[in-house]
Amino acid sequence: MEPHLQNLYEVLSKVDGYVYPNEIELNWSILIVLYPYITGLVAGAFILASLERIFKLHILKPTYGLALLTAFSFMLVATMPLISHLGKPLRAYEIMITPHSSSAMAIFGFVYLWYLMVVLLLEIWFDYRCDMIIWANETKGFKRFLYRALSLWTTDISPKAVALDNKIGYIITVIGVPSAFLLHGYVGFIFGSIKANPWWSTVLMPVIFLFSAMVSGIALVMFIYIILNKIRKISVDMACLDTIAKYLFYILIIDFTLEGLDQIHRIYEAEESFEVLHMLVFGRLFFTLFIMQGLFGTVIPLITLAILQFYKPKVQIRKIIYFIIATLILIGIFFMRWNVVIGGQLFSKSFYGYTSFKIGLIGAEGYLMAAVWIIVPFLILTFLLWLLPPWKKKEDEIQVI
Amino acid sequence: MPQHLKRLISFFAILLILFLIMRQVLIPKSFGQLGHYRADAISENQVRELHYAGSENCTKCHDSIHIEKDEGYHKQLKCEVCHGPGLKHTQYADKFKDGHLPDSLLLHKPIERKECALCHQKNAARTKILFDTIDNTMIVQIDAMKHKLLNKKTKEEQKCIKCHNPHQP
Repeated sequence: MEPHLQNLYEVLSKVDGYVYPNEIELNWSILIVLYPYITGLVAGAFILASLERIFKLHILKPTYGLALLTAFSFMLVATMPLISHLGKPLRAYEIMITPHSSSAMAIFGFVYLWYLMVVLLLEIWFDYRCDMIIWANETKGFKRFLYRALSLWTTDISPKAVALDNKIGYIITVIGVPSAFLLHGYVGFIFGSIKANPWWSTVLMPVIFLFSAMVSGIALVMFIYIILNKIRKISVDMACLDTIAKYLFYILIIDFTLEGLDQIHRIYEAEESFEVLHMLVFGRLFFTLFIMQGLFGTVIPLITLAILQFYKPKVQIRKIIYFIIATLILIGIFFMRWNVVIGGQLFSKSFYGYTSFKIGLIGAEGYLMAAVWIIVPFLILTFLLWLLPPWKKKEDEIQVI
Repeated sequence: MPQHLKRLISFFAILLILFLIMRQVLIPKSFGQLGHYRADAISENQVRELHYAGSENCTKCHDSIHIEKDEGYHKQLKCEVCHGPGLKHTQYADKFKDGHLPDSLLLHKPIERKECALCHQKNAARTKILFDTIDNTMIVQIDAMKHKLLNKKTKEEQKCIKCHNPHQP
């Protein structure tokens, strides 16, 4: 067979029906799936932290610092999948220095920067400033220097200064909640505003992304909290865990309802794209949508959490159940992002055919690259927990004095 | 104002000043002169090597073909669409009075069936063009698997140009 016919044969074996030539290969791969996933984890973890701070849910205190540090470490990595996908890291800054209001991504750069610098960094700084000064006096060498530098060489730990820190921290959290909504609403907006793609183009997209972000972020903090206590060999605060599970349950209901509403709306409207989407969800997306996202990521956690609201088994069993649910939700939300990003590219915009997608292990867009960007935030978090352990905070003692 | 707030505000002020300085350094000088892009990009593109001559230059020598083509369906089609870029050909061909051009100056003659099929093979994505008419021209589409003539002796497919004159199909 002639080489060009051989190539054509290979390409066409990926395709069902008719697709436009530029739709055969998927341009957005697993790294673009990771990007909304990681930003979602950030927004969700931050909102959990703000529950304690703004809504005075002091029962969540054990996870407050952890949730903040988790949000921060994932936030530092959030843009990395995009930068490694684009493959020109040295040009990454250009979006920030010459922004244009017509570019959603350019404006997102500022939303991101606002959230990272003004909300997360400042909140953590005000939260830990006093402790860093105390820790600097208790440690030596490089760690001492690090604490001094991070606290900007300030020394004031008078009750008045600490009270001011708390007050400013509170204000930042109040600003932070709409910022977190904005951050993840924006990620949804980027997809929802693409009117040429009927799988994405829905005004509900930012809201769905936001609530799924909260679900995944809360599940992540729950997951890390259980593991962390296992490593530290201390018992989990079950009252705290039960409360997190309760909020997870509420938000999961909203998330499930919103996604259901979106689908019902789609089915009822049955626009010209309906046929192709119908075949998509029962064909190429069946496993990731119905099994991974629907059954494992939503239905099983939802039913289990509902049962746990009325019936509470022993602490040890409950802990294991919470751990499994958190893991399932984290996987489920990952597949929700997958179904949006990959699903939106699997069908032809001619509505007459489908292409297929197979991901490799290695390469710039492979599983290993994606694994790197999932593991790096955990490494950053480990470092942050070593540097700023929330369980060693002494600020409360100062207030008592 | 407490000491630590002063420090924090100074820290952010330094970051902002650094950002503004970096911005001044990093933005190319010609950015924004003509619009939201680097104006120098235009002059940089202008100095790039040219490859296409334009149909007018072909007509200077091949005027008979131009007249022929001008009466047929291919009159909208520019010469270099089928024959490839011909700037060097137009610049140097007249230096060879005997008509024997070196290979580097020869242009492509698309005589194979697959070359006609590039535009004329029936294609679902192109059906719309079939019904669009621009100056009363349209791209006729055929199914190359069916629309063919076999050589009576060798049973091989005849080339399209056996029946269709490409300059006046």
